[in-house]
Amino acid sequence: MLRFDRRLLYNFDWIMLGAVLAVTTMGLINLYSSSNTGAGASPIFYKQLTFFFAGLGLVLLAISIDYRRLLIWNYPCYWLIILLLLAALLLGKTVGGSQRWLNLGFFRLQPSEPAKLMLIITLASYYYRKDTGKGFTIGELIVPALLTVLPFALIVKQPDLGTALILAAVFISMTLFVKLRRNTVAILLSFCLAAIPLGWKFFLKPYQRQRIETFLNPEGDPMNSGYHIMQSKIAVGSGLKFGKGYLDGTQGHLHFLPERHTDFAFSVWAEEWGFAGCLFFLACYFLLILWGLNIGLTSRDKFGVLLVFGIVSLIFWQAIINLCMVMGLLPVVGIPLPLFSYGGSSLLTTMLAVGILINIRMRRYQGKN
Amino acid sequence: MRFQRRRLNARIYRVDEDELNALKKRTDIVAVFIISLMALLIARLWYLQIHRGAEYVRLAENNRVRALDITAPRGNILDRQGRVIIANRPSFNIVWTKEDAPDPDAVIKRLARLTGDDIALFLERIRLAADNPRHIPIKLKEDVDWQTLAAVENNHLELPGVRIMALPRRDYLYQDLASHLIGYLGEISQKELEGKKDEGDESYESGDPIGKMGAEKLFEEHLRGEKGREYMEVDARGFEQRRLKGLEAMPGNDIRLTIDIDLQQAAEAAMAGKAGAVVAMEVNTGRVLVLVSSPALKLKEFIGGISQKAWKEMLTDPLHPLINKTVNGQYPPGSTYKIVTALAGLAEGAITPETSVFCTGAINFGNRRYGCWKKGGHGTVSLRRALAESCDVYFYQVGQRLGVDLLAEYAKSFGFGRASGIELEHEKSGLVPTSEWKQQTKKVAWQKGETLSVAIGQGFNLTTPLQICRMAATLANGGTLYRPQLIELIKGPDGSDLQRFSPVIEGRLRGTDKMQELIRDALTAVVNEPHGTGSAARLPSIKVAGKTGTAQVIRLAQYKGVAENNVPYKYRDHAWFTCFAPAEKPEIAMAVLVEHGSHGGSAAGPVAKRVLEAYFNIKKEETGQPEPTEEAAD
Repeated sequence: MLRFDRRLLYNFDWIMLGAVLAVTTMGLINLYSSSNTGAGASPIFYKQLTFFFAGLGLVLLAISIDYRRLLIWNYPCYWLIILLLLAALLLGKTVGGSQRWLNLGFFRLQPSEPAKLMLIITLASYYYRKDTGKGFTIGELIVPALLTVLPFALIVKQPDLGTALILAAVFISMTLFVKLRRNTVAILLSFCLAAIPLGWKFFLKPYQRQRIETFLNPEGDPMNSGYHIMQSKIAVGSGLKFGKGYLDGTQGHLHFLPERHTDFAFSVWAEEWGFAGCLFFLACYFLLILWGLNIGLTSRDKFGVLLVFGIVSLIFWQAIINLCMVMGLLPVVGIPLPLFSYGGSSLLTTMLAVGILINIRMRRYQGKN
Repeated sequence: MRFQRRRLNARIYRVDEDELNALKKRTDIVAVFIISLMALLIARLWYLQIHRGAEYVRLAENNRVRALDITAPRGNILDRQGRVIIANRPSFNIVWTKEDAPDPDAVIKRLARLTGDDIALFLERIRLAADNPRHIPIKLKEDVDWQTLAAVENNHLELPGVRIMALPRRDYLYQDLASHLIGYLGEISQKELEGKKDEGDESYESGDPIGKMGAEKLFEEHLRGEKGREYMEVDARGFEQRRLKGLEAMPGNDIRLTIDIDLQQAAEAAMAGKAGAVVAMEVNTGRVLVLVSSPALKLKEFIGGISQKAWKEMLTDPLHPLINKTVNGQYPPGSTYKIVTALAGLAEGAITPETSVFCTGAINFGNRRYGCWKKGGHGTVSLRRALAESCDVYFYQVGQRLGVDLLAEYAKSFGFGRASGIELEHEKSGLVPTSEWKQQTKKVAWQKGETLSVAIGQGFNLTTPLQICRMAATLANGGTLYRPQLIELIKGPDGSDLQRFSPVIEGRLRGTDKMQELIRDALTAVVNEPHGTGSAARLPSIKVAGKTGTAQVIRLAQYKGVAENNVPYKYRDHAWFTCFAPAEKPEIAMAVLVEHGSHGGSAAGPVAKRVLEAYFNIKKEETGQPEPTEEAAD
């Protein structure tokens, strides 16, 4: 294929790969425990292990193609994802009251996961192309806003408010990151403030409103909505300094924790490994995030910087929202902890994104030649 | 490929260093933001896991470990030969734990469909227990049959929070035998619970069974045993995972009563359809062999709380099943009291055995005529005949010579006028009238004529059937007044004897042996001689001594002088018969009261006879073979 540049190998980002491997390994160790029913590893664990190796394959694929090629492919890919989202809505499998999954035979794809990455690539390439250096006007923001609203609306429709929120967070982060005109900021800010009460009233479904209300007043309804937050706090808190020991957590194994493989996976980790284990985990995770940010600093071109920033904000927002939820700082929102929670689509998407980061890092000296 | 590459180059190598640097500067701000959020997370972890960790550990344990009380099997109640009257059997209750049920409505609905019960019934029970802590199981259905049990067990996966709880339940092997004596259990009331707490007993909880009446209540402390505790690990759906270490329940002690099942059964059979009481005791120990209050309580109705309707029925029943007539019923002693008058007369020298009186059928005293029950009169009667034929006129004379206060002293030496001290609740003391008593309570001086009524057991006198029986026993054993005794032995669950109760002597009868012997002889005549009033209690092989009595019931004027059979039930006289046997060497004494039974001899005598028959049949069997245990030899 491409002529292989030996500098690429020399510049390979071992730190990033190390951080990713550390986090995913912890995720697998944790999943082994949380899915354990006393009879050894569960099928869920092997499935995730398979996804992990597939993810490594995706990393390899991502680094072997110059990320700048994405500038060419981004719109066809974007529309492909939109099609998949539509398909999920029309043909998808309904699980737990929402239509998120598309059965591909060998794998049930959740198109909203790659949609997050696709949006980052699309926005990065748009901002990269349009930038005049004087900051964006409201008018110039219409196209990226539409590009975001389209998948956003399709995902809200599933309904999967958590994922949709992440799309919005990524869009806002990236838009703020590129330069905006002052009056643009002012107009948008006042618009947002006006939108909050309207959104509360017309946009949120009753159960979503209830979750937020419960979060604000958890004692009001301890057995229902507040139950999940409470149980998660109990799991985390009862871990103490060094945890209850691997496979010995009671909150997880006795099913007090909801969604212990996915959204509340970190509760299981915190319960079994305690404060020490949590510190180690956070160290690895934030190394990954901060190192990712650092890749942006070394990038030679603006597309790379925007791409890096988008990917880092994607991982960061999901992680921070998930962790805050697990620790009782935010209401229950269905957002997994990237690279750690069970779920093939999320893991594959995040590993692909990390592959892009490594790709950008590897090519930091390219371009000037 | 080359073409593409050129296009890429054309686009990308438009690098604006200033712009790039601006973006990178913003990256620094972002890094600070990320690091501060990371610090927030770490602070939060520290707060949850270190600062408040202990509290969350406790919450996690509460989640996981379910502590449940294990009801101790209650002690058995045995008869004097060690035969079980009341035992326990396992029963199965369907219980539901609120805490373990994520979706109560669906679960209860499913359960009601399985058991075929009205769902409203279950919801009502849940409502009543609304204030209980969430982890305390609520009883939805008690004592379910095997089919229901199997149905619930087979579907337990669809019934989170629902469990089967095995509980020992009272097994009434002889149905309502000695119902007033045995009593019943009920759920502890809020008031009882508070009472126990005030006494410093913290071991009761709401929902616990407690003795409400009779032996079950009196010996509650012994019968109850000690609760055990079970610790279960449960999952979030309330399914039990494994048993953790717990505390065994200590079964209660067995209580061996002095009651004899065979005699009790004979007495109850004899009293069937009648209202009244039968008390029999061993003359030489005061141990109560029979304690019947008729009609019996229907113990089954009391299990699990009596219904309002059944309770009302019992309250308004003219036969008064709720009253334990043996100790809570007070009746004029009637002619049985002539035993007291006779002994007092002899001992005080008012009469000698030879003193005779001419009975014309009545005596005039003051300005009133006191009649004998026999209108035509008995003619010339000595003490022996006066007792045997129950001549009232004779005893009017004796009473007149003695005065009420001397009479009272002898009555008291027979144990009248005070509670006997038997181990039963609310025992009535009866009443022995004295002139002082009348002055104090009625504020009127004693009338001499009233002494005549008292001398034949009418008037102010009140006695319980137990007191009458004790009178017969005291006379029979040569004058030793024993405290009636109902409990013989407390046995530990391992079969060891914990506490043995020996006879307690309360006093001595006044008068000499000779005088008592004279009266005993006269009482033999009551049953065995042609004109005796107690011939209905005569036995072929055993000589019985006894005394009949008729306690007048205050009746409306319109029924005065009307033949007994034509008087409405509630105005008929009470019938008494008291006796002991064998007359030569007495073993057993008895009192029979038939409420509104009219005549002592005809209504109460046959009841006594049947109990005596049963008693002496037993004796025959017992002497034919070696005694099984030491206690049975008494």
